[in-house]
Amino acid sequence: MEDFLEKMAELFEEDTVQLTDIIVDFDAWDSLTSLSIIAYVGEEFQKTISAAQIVEAETIGGLYELIKNS
Amino acid sequence: MDLYFKDKEITGMLVILPSNEIYFEEEMENYNFSTAKSLKLKAALGLNKRRVVQEGVCASDLAIKGLDYLFSNGKLVKEEIDALLFVTQSPDYIMPPTSNVIQGHFNLKQDMICLDINQGCAGFIVGVNQAFMLLDQSSISKVVLINADVLSPKVSKRDRNSNPLIGDAASITIIEKTSNRTEIFGSIKMDGKGAFSLQIPAGGAKLPISANTSEMLEDVSGNFRSKENLVMKGDDVFNFVQAEVPPMIESLLNMAKIDKDVVDYYMFHQPNKFMLNKVADKIGVNRGKMPSNIVENFGNSSGVTIPIVTWFNVADEIKEKRLKICFSGFGVGLTWASLLMDVGPLSFCEMIEY
Repeated sequence: MEDFLEKMAELFEEDTVQLTDIIVDFDAWDSLTSLSIIAYVGEEFQKTISAAQIVEAETIGGLYELIKNS
Repeated sequence: MDLYFKDKEITGMLVILPSNEIYFEEEMENYNFSTAKSLKLKAALGLNKRRVVQEGVCASDLAIKGLDYLFSNGKLVKEEIDALLFVTQSPDYIMPPTSNVIQGHFNLKQDMICLDINQGCAGFIVGVNQAFMLLDQSSISKVVLINADVLSPKVSKRDRNSNPLIGDAASITIIEKTSNRTEIFGSIKMDGKGAFSLQIPAGGAKLPISANTSEMLEDVSGNFRSKENLVMKGDDVFNFVQAEVPPMIESLLNMAKIDKDVVDYYMFHQPNKFMLNKVADKIGVNRGKMPSNIVENFGNSSGVTIPIVTWFNVADEIKEKRLKICFSGFGVGLTWASLLMDVGPLSFCEMIEY
């Protein structure tokens, strides 16, 4: 979980991120960030998620749940 | 499915590139994104400059220029061509086939086969496979494979996903029977359930061009395009490539009973540097053996990128000696296909500009 939050902070170009943060509200959010998340989830968790699923997950916490349950 | 061919080889390769070059920065203001975000994209995907045709130039123009060069320099003899394959997603007409138009232009012999193939990113592999199958006929000794794509006019200038990486190009590959004993291992797979992951929605019979199809609409990411423009589901394509290509290469190497390090080069389709590096890492090959420097120099020209990556990186080497090469193309269809074969010494491997 800590590694995950650190990685998310890096991808969203923030010092830290919270589980309640809204994904699409980050300044750095765009299709490239989305692709970077997809690549990270594939490498780190061997899971396949789509861009639409990331948006539907809404928050950083939601994204974490999505990865765990995929 | 697994494929196997023998006693055939590639003997020459010519790349035709438009001389017109566009830098990423020249078009940044077209996109609905901040400069910082666009520069981040440039760095991540490995974008810089690309080659696109001037208005009005089509795929056959590039091909004809290339054939003209080969004929007039004695690198190819008209009478020896038994089959002309034209692989494109941007044909001159819905009818007739562009291969026939080219045959007529050069007054080639009647005793031959002309065949257009609608394939994109895997179009080089599909074309070479088709050439090998034709060469099983006793009356066919030499096949000319043309890959040509002019897709830049189909991409919206305001589409940050596709516009900065699309390129136009053509290539001519000569494929022949050989008295050398050669073994070629191939693999090809298709998944039509993903047919709309890469698409130009309007312009065919299903959705003819009309006033409505030219309307520019904004997507969820802030890109503008019409139904007449190329549209790509980047995440679907990324996931498909990462999931399907590495296992295909592994099974191809197993079939040929060779270790991945024995392969001199992995000449793969060039979607962008980001995706290629991930594929190289997943297969477990040194990134140096899988060049990924085509999009940043010339753009992604669909089925032509494999000849371009080969010419750009090993032209001198492959004219001197024999190399063990793994070719792989993947994309629209969805189609993914690979070949493992020895190539060289080629009688020519060069580039001319249009």
